Amino acid sequence: MITALLIIHGVIAVFLIGAITHQTLGTFWPRRPGQVDFVANARGIRPQVYVDTIIILYIVTFFIGAFLYPTYRVYVRPPLQDLQLTYAIGLFEIKENFAAIGLATLPSYWWFWKKTNEYPTTRKALTAIFFGIIWYNFIAGHILNNVRGFT
Amino acid sequence: MTLEKIATRAFPAFAVGFALYYAPAYSFTGANSAFSWPLFTYFPAIDRWNWALVPGNDNIGPPMWWYGWIVSAVIVGLIFAVIAMLLPERATAKMWSVLVWVVPIVAFVFLANWELVWFFPTWKPL
Repeated sequence: MITALLIIHGVIAVFLIGAITHQTLGTFWPRRPGQVDFVANARGIRPQVYVDTIIILYIVTFFIGAFLYPTYRVYVRPPLQDLQLTYAIGLFEIKENFAAIGLATLPSYWWFWKKTNEYPTTRKALTAIFFGIIWYNFIAGHILNNVRGFT
Repeated sequence: MTLEKIATRAFPAFAVGFALYYAPAYSFTGANSAFSWPLFTYFPAIDRWNWALVPGNDNIGPPMWWYGWIVSAVIVGLIFAVIAMLLPERATAKMWSVLVWVVPIVAFVFLANWELVWFFPTWKPL
């Protein structure tokens, strides 16, 4: 059960990574007319299209992660402490803090992207924040999942 | 009152209040904290919930304060949202549109000061 949820958590995070990366590229580096290569196509999207998807995926990923957290606290973290792999614990601490503050910022993210055309700087900044949170949490999660391979 | 009038102030204010509480809650919570930053403590080893901050021990296992910090921060965020609705819309809408992304970044920097100890054991938070 826990292993299955952890895999689902990781798979949904892949979708989330794709969505936020497309949106970030389309926001900060939009395709110019005439550009038709692979990267330009990845950038040639309407960023607002991804907002609902990102919000839903973020919430689902967050709550699966929150459900898995007790297992980490009881069965994963103590051995990390015993092995003095404090950096791995630190990676997770940052991940949980990013995730929580990101969750509280989602309503604003939705509002500034979907319901108003004002404040373009706010839209860009929130997208950049979520890009950083989601990529960091994805990488940190994978390092933690494979941490024994790093020792 | 329309959604626009609520959302332009209450949503950002909620995020700001949440971050302003959550960052010090994480940073200043310890087994001997004078103030109970988390609303409750969960002990996953024995599946027990306790109100407020409770330290762990060998009998009840490690404490989890993360859920309690989040619920406490949600309450503070809601208080901020209500206060934001009482302030004049025209004078504050622009301010909230900036604070909504500046405060989370400041919170991340504040948290990093306390998280560095995991990577550098001799690190003393500033």
